[in-house]
Amino acid sequence: MPAIDCDVHCAPASFEALFPYLSDYWRQYITEGGVRLGGVAFAYPPLAPTTAVPAAREQAAREQAAPPTPESYDQLKESVLDRADPRAVVLNCLTGFETHRNAYYSAAVASAVNDWLREEFLARDDRLRASLVVSTISTEDAVAEIERVGGEPGFVQVLLPVRSDVPWGNKRNHPIFAAACAHSLHVGLHAWGRAGRAPTPSGFTSTYLEDYLGNQPIAQAQVLSFVSEGVFDRFPDLKVLLMECGFAWLPPLLWRFDKDWRGVWREVPWVKGLPSEYVAEHFRFTTAPAHLPRDRAAIGQLLEMLDAGGLLAYASDYPHNHGDGLTVLLDQLDEDARAAVMGGNAAALYGLP
Amino acid sequence: MSGAETQPQHAAATATAVKLVDCDVHAQPTEPMLAEYMSAGARRRLERYGHRTPRVTDWYPRARNAGMRVDAWPGKPGHIWGSDPETTRAQLLDEFGVDYAMLEVLSGADCYDDPDLAVDWNQAMNHWQVDKWLDFDPRFRGSIAVPHEYPDLAVAEIERHAADSRFLAVLMPASAIEMLGSLKYWPIYEAAAAHGRPVAFHTGGYMDHRGAGYPSFYLEYHVANGINMQAQLTSMVGGGMFDAIPGLRVVLVECGLAWAAALRWSLDAAWELMREDLSRLKRRPSEYVRDQVWFTTQPIEEPQEPRHLLHAIAQAQLEDRLLFATDYPHWDFDSPTQALPRAMPAELRRAILAENALELYGLPAERTATA
Repeated sequence: MPAIDCDVHCAPASFEALFPYLSDYWRQYITEGGVRLGGVAFAYPPLAPTTAVPAAREQAAREQAAPPTPESYDQLKESVLDRADPRAVVLNCLTGFETHRNAYYSAAVASAVNDWLREEFLARDDRLRASLVVSTISTEDAVAEIERVGGEPGFVQVLLPVRSDVPWGNKRNHPIFAAACAHSLHVGLHAWGRAGRAPTPSGFTSTYLEDYLGNQPIAQAQVLSFVSEGVFDRFPDLKVLLMECGFAWLPPLLWRFDKDWRGVWREVPWVKGLPSEYVAEHFRFTTAPAHLPRDRAAIGQLLEMLDAGGLLAYASDYPHNHGDGLTVLLDQLDEDARAAVMGGNAAALYGLP
Repeated sequence: MSGAETQPQHAAATATAVKLVDCDVHAQPTEPMLAEYMSAGARRRLERYGHRTPRVTDWYPRARNAGMRVDAWPGKPGHIWGSDPETTRAQLLDEFGVDYAMLEVLSGADCYDDPDLAVDWNQAMNHWQVDKWLDFDPRFRGSIAVPHEYPDLAVAEIERHAADSRFLAVLMPASAIEMLGSLKYWPIYEAAAAHGRPVAFHTGGYMDHRGAGYPSFYLEYHVANGINMQAQLTSMVGGGMFDAIPGLRVVLVECGLAWAAALRWSLDAAWELMREDLSRLKRRPSEYVRDQVWFTTQPIEEPQEPRHLLHAIAQAQLEDRLLFATDYPHWDFDSPTQALPRAMPAELRRAILAENALELYGLPAERTATA
């Protein structure tokens, strides 16, 4: 059975592609201000090995440096749909994961991206789904955007960056989840975002590699937040797909989270059971990056601690490149678990055939 | 808790094998106690103007008993938990037969203080430590508190105490103004290595939760101690300090240990892809962690299947890198008799309870017990 690919990237190459969906005011703001879509270069520096798998880079070279992230349906078809023949693909456009602090701009760009996603991709191929992009600065605007397009069949989840001003489970974000649930949407929490904020408790990292790995501790803090704030008690249908943040860190995190909750549960009386049980029910994790040991026995031990078949959902993360960890993992899964990872879990999450 | 009645009987001095070293014990001076050791000027500034950053307990109050063992208040005028060596001796050393207890006097509130105040404050903590604890019972061992944001001044503080072999390590917080792998702090690490002292990074310090934003609860804050240390260890490895200072030994205190394997896998996998970004590294990142990093055990992770903890230890090659710690007098005290899982082989248990610490800190394997 063909796979469901839970994380494929697309992005407009420049603002020109979004202009049909922006008002005169914003077109002028962008043009006169020289605002450019940088392709979230802090997260994916154009020449970094993580930014493009070799195939995407070769294609870009052949086409004389066309951007490796698909900017049109034709590019997506050639690079992903025709090559891998997936059952379904969830598109994630990270264009809104920018540094700016202007909430009005953030809301306008989010709406334009969603319109662009619909017209350029969703309307053209029924295998395509997309994450609905929202303002990452203003709860009010995020809710309004969910109300505007959340009912359209192509949008399956609300895209949020894992790096945030306050953790996403925080009370002030709950209206986003209420709106998402009202439209049967989940949350897709994706690596990176908010480049103007330091990723660590002690400020900025000094290398890209440290910044890249910084997504993993940050994702862990988000897991703590969703559970501790009682989000899943208020929104029992909500699921969170954690994308591009790894997963091998999960078992030790939950050992500690469960233990600490047993000690200080009085602080969060709305948390009714073990944190690990909430995570098993409400969180899923994409398979990229799969940063795993090279030793088969150690992978076997990891699979004993981590319910891969229940928790992981396949993502090529095209065009990004994280090495070949996934092959090593899939080799050691039994047939049922592999089928769940490659499609079953995503199908259940998004109600796909 | 039992007090004086459990103290050892006076007996002839006999040498006994060391069986239990506690690598994280909190001695906590009150401000009036420290004030006795501060200059008049510094004392006055502190009284009038205070520190520039709040203490962690102001951000994330601990829901019960201020996060301490209920029995840890000595009931003596002017004393709080951890301030009275007699109470700690009775409740920890005597009750559990601790051979050596390593004190960590936390100083997280001082990182933004002006240099003169920071020096005075840290000197006071070290003098108080010597006076009230190290001179009080030979089982107490110290760690040197330093004004870490002023590395030259921190080095001077290390040198002031280097000749006192009772100070086993240099103490740093797990969060500072810059990432802990930053060149800024290397003079401290070089001085520690030159004087044969490991650097102990204790969880806490000034925590700016900038990656995901500020959490709401102590529960999140406390679990995140392990998460934040992952970012710091990444910085330490990535910045090249282990390569540049080969004698440097680092102890990560109170941040858990079971995450070490996953972090090593991530470091190695990312390094395979982009070696040139970590231009100072000569070896695989995991090798530096293997050779130069130790972990204290408390609060030890407790998987439902105890053998999973043993897997996590083996996967990260931590058998000779784990140091037992109780974290007395905090609420999540790990008892020496119960914290390590029963499934743990006796040899590993002995290594964790004493042998690894004896080797790291160069402590004698036999102790003359003269109560």
